[in-house]
Amino acid sequence: MLDNEATLEIQHLIRDFKPADGDLLGALHAVQHRYGYIPKIAMPVVARQLRLSEAQVYGAVTYYSEFRLIPPPATLIGWCSGLSCRLKGGDRIRQVLERELGIAMEENTDGDRLGLHLAQCNGTCEHAAQVWVNGEVVGPLSAADTVKLVRSLKEKA
Amino acid sequence: MPTYDELRAAADAVWKAVEDPPRPLFSISINTSSLASRAAETLAALRKLGERLGFDVMQTGDAGFAFAEPVVQVTKPGGSAVLYGPVTPDRAAAFAAAAMKGVAKEFALGVVSGPATDGVPALADTPWMKVQTRWLMHNCGVIDPDNIDHYIARGGYRQFLDAAAMDRDALISVIKGSTLKGRAGGFFSTGMKWQFLKDATAEPKYLVCNADEGDPGAWVNRVVMEGDPHMLIEGMLIGAHASGASHGWIYVRDEYPLAIERLNRALAQCRERGILGDDALGTGVRFDAEVVRGAGAYVCGDETGLISSVNDERGMPRLKPPFPAASGVLGKPTNVNNVETYACATTFLRLTPEIFSTVGTDMHWGTKMFSVSGAVGKTGCLEVPFGTKVADVLAAAGGVPGGRQLKALQEGGPLSGLLPAAIALDLPLEPEPFRPLGAGMGGGGLIFVDDTACTVDLNVMFSWFVEAESCGRCTTCRGANQRMFEIFSRTARGEGQSDDVAQLKSLAASMQYSNCLHGALSPTIMNHTIQHFREEYDAHTLEHRCPAKVCPGLIRYRITKQTPAVAEAAAICPAAAIAQQGGAWAIDDAACIRCHACKDIAPDDIVIEDRYRDVIPLRTLVPAAVSRSG
Repeated sequence: MLDNEATLEIQHLIRDFKPADGDLLGALHAVQHRYGYIPKIAMPVVARQLRLSEAQVYGAVTYYSEFRLIPPPATLIGWCSGLSCRLKGGDRIRQVLERELGIAMEENTDGDRLGLHLAQCNGTCEHAAQVWVNGEVVGPLSAADTVKLVRSLKEKA
Repeated sequence: MPTYDELRAAADAVWKAVEDPPRPLFSISINTSSLASRAAETLAALRKLGERLGFDVMQTGDAGFAFAEPVVQVTKPGGSAVLYGPVTPDRAAAFAAAAMKGVAKEFALGVVSGPATDGVPALADTPWMKVQTRWLMHNCGVIDPDNIDHYIARGGYRQFLDAAAMDRDALISVIKGSTLKGRAGGFFSTGMKWQFLKDATAEPKYLVCNADEGDPGAWVNRVVMEGDPHMLIEGMLIGAHASGASHGWIYVRDEYPLAIERLNRALAQCRERGILGDDALGTGVRFDAEVVRGAGAYVCGDETGLISSVNDERGMPRLKPPFPAASGVLGKPTNVNNVETYACATTFLRLTPEIFSTVGTDMHWGTKMFSVSGAVGKTGCLEVPFGTKVADVLAAAGGVPGGRQLKALQEGGPLSGLLPAAIALDLPLEPEPFRPLGAGMGGGGLIFVDDTACTVDLNVMFSWFVEAESCGRCTTCRGANQRMFEIFSRTARGEGQSDDVAQLKSLAASMQYSNCLHGALSPTIMNHTIQHFREEYDAHTLEHRCPAKVCPGLIRYRITKQTPAVAEAAAICPAAAIAQQGGAWAIDDAACIRCHACKDIAPDDIVIEDRYRDVIPLRTLVPAAVSRSG
C-alpha cells in the first residue's frame, strides 16, 4: 500500500477520536486491531488527530507492552510471566521456547512464521504453566510438553 | 424512559423463567477461566443436545470455580438445582443424559437448592463454599451478566434509586460509617474520598474505576466484571450522586477482553433504559461512563499513573499533591476506586448496615474476595469474611498437594510480600496484621508457595518484574531495581558475592525516596527474603548451592540409569545436550539449558544435583565477620 493511501485509511479509522478526551489508547488499539501492529506511518496521523506531538505518540506506543512495533507472526506464542506459572516450571518453558525457536521474546522467526511475546497473568492459573497460542490458553505444560508443542507448531508453520 | 417499577416488572417476568424454568435449564459459566477450559465447545455441544433432549441453555458469569471449569448448573422445573463440573466438551453428551434423568453424580459439585440427594452434598456444605460468604458474588454464576433484566430482578439499581433519594451529605456519612475502604490494597476510607470530590469546587467532576488488576495471580476484579458488571456500574452511579461526578472512565487492563465486552454491553443497556444519561432513572442524577482499554503497564494500577494514561500520556505516576480530588482526569477533580470497592458500595446498601456489620471484623465489615493459586489443590476465586485465617482459606482450597510443605505465602502482588508459612498461616485476612510485618494484604491475590520453590529464584522474577514495570521517572526506582535484578540474576547463576546483602539493603533504603509506591515498595519481597529466608539466600552466595535445586547456575542434570526413556529424553532435549559417549548417554553440562524437559521424560533415570558439590564451601574460606558485614 502506498504511504498516502495508508495515511488516508488510518485517518478514516480514527476519525471519531478527539483531542483531550482520553482517546489515545483507543486510537492506538484501533490501529493495532486493523494492522496487527502500529506501523510507523500511523504515529503522525494519530498525533495530528489528537493534537499531540509525534514523540508523545511514539512514547506511548513504546511504553505499553501490548503495542507492537513489528508485524505479528502467523502464530504468536505468548509466554505467561506470572508467579503461579513460574512455580510450576514457567521459566523452564521460556528456556524451551527461546531455544527451540532460536529467538528471544518480542522477536519473530524468519518470514514472520512464529513469534514470542512476553505476556502478563490473566488469572487462568489453573492452567499453569501456560502459554497462549494466538490467544488460546494452552496448559498445563511441562518443559517436555512445550518442546512437543513448539515442534508441531514449527511443522505447521 | 421507563420508570424503575416498569423495568422491575418486566425483569421479574424474565427472571421467573430462570428460577423456576418450564423445562430443565442448563446454565454454563462463560468466563475467562472456563473459556480456557474449552467452555465455548461445551456450550455449543449443550445447545445441540438441548434441542434433542428438551432442555434450555443459558450462560452465566464467573462464580470462581476455576478448578472445576467448565461448570454447569442444572435447574429443574420446580427450582431444584445442582452444580456440576468439569463438564468437558467430550463428556457433554454423557453428562446431559445423566443430568436429565436424575442427578449426574460423577460430575456433581453440590446441590444448590432443593434436597441433597444420592450422596451429593449441599454445595454450601462443601469445604470450598463453607468458608465463604457470597455477598459481592451473589449474582456471580447465577445471572446472565449480559442480561440487565436478571440484574434488575435480583434487586439491581434499587440501591442507586434509594441512594439518589438521600441528601448527598447523608449518603456520604452512611458510606463513611460502612467501614468501606479501598479494596485495591490501600484501604483508604471510601466515604472520605467521595467527600473530597464532593467538596472540590471545580467542575465537571469525574469518577474513575481502576480495573487494571495487574498483580500476577490476582483476578478478583475480573470475576466481578465478568460475573456481574452492573453491580460495578451501580456502585459508580451511587458514587456519582454522592460526589456530584458527571462522567466516569472504567480503565480495564488489556488482558481482560471479555470483561471489556461485557462492560460495554452493560453500559449500552443502561443508556437504552435511561439508567445512565442526563436523568438517571428519573432521579435527576446526570452520569455516563465509558471503558478505556489499557495496553499493558503495571504502574497504571497506581491512581496517578492511571490518570496519566487516560490523559493521553504515558501511564507514569506523578507526585502528589495535587491529589486527584483537586486535579485528575483532564485536570478536573477526580475520584479513583477499584472495581471491588464500587461493587461493595452497592452491596453495602443492598444488605443494610444491620446485616453488613454482622460479618467481618470491627475495622472491616463484610467480605473480601481472594484468588488462590500456586501450591493449592483448588485454584479459584473465593469471597470470605474479613478476618478469616489464611490457613482456613488454604484448607478450603484443598491444602498443599503432592505431600509438599508450604514454604511461603506471596500475597497481594509483587509489592506486598513473601511471608514464611509459619507466620502467614496464622494471619487473619485484613490489612492491619500485615503492616507490622512490613507487608501488605494487597488487592486479593494469594499465591501459595511450596518447598519445591527457591526464594532466590522468586526474587529473580520479582526484581525483573518491578524493574520492567518501573515507569523510569525516579532514578531510585529505575536504577535500584536494575541493580537488584542484576544481583539476583547473578546469584542464581552462582555468582553471588558476600557483600550483596549490604548492597541490597542500601538499594532498599534509597528506593524509599521514589515518588510513588511502585518504587518505595519494590524491595518488599527482597526484604522479606533477607529477613525470613536468609539461610537459603546464604546457601547460594556462600556455599554455591541452591537447596531447592532450582537456580540454573547451581545445579546440573546427570543421567544415573541407561534406559530406553533416556534415549527419548535425548530426542526431546532442545539444546541437543544429551549424546552417547562410548555407548552410554551423557549430558553435556556446558550445552544444557536446565529446562528440565529430559527429566519430564525420564524422571527416574536423571537426577538434579548440586553443580559445585565438590567445591569446598566458601564459608570456610571467608571469615564470618567479613561475610556477614551486611
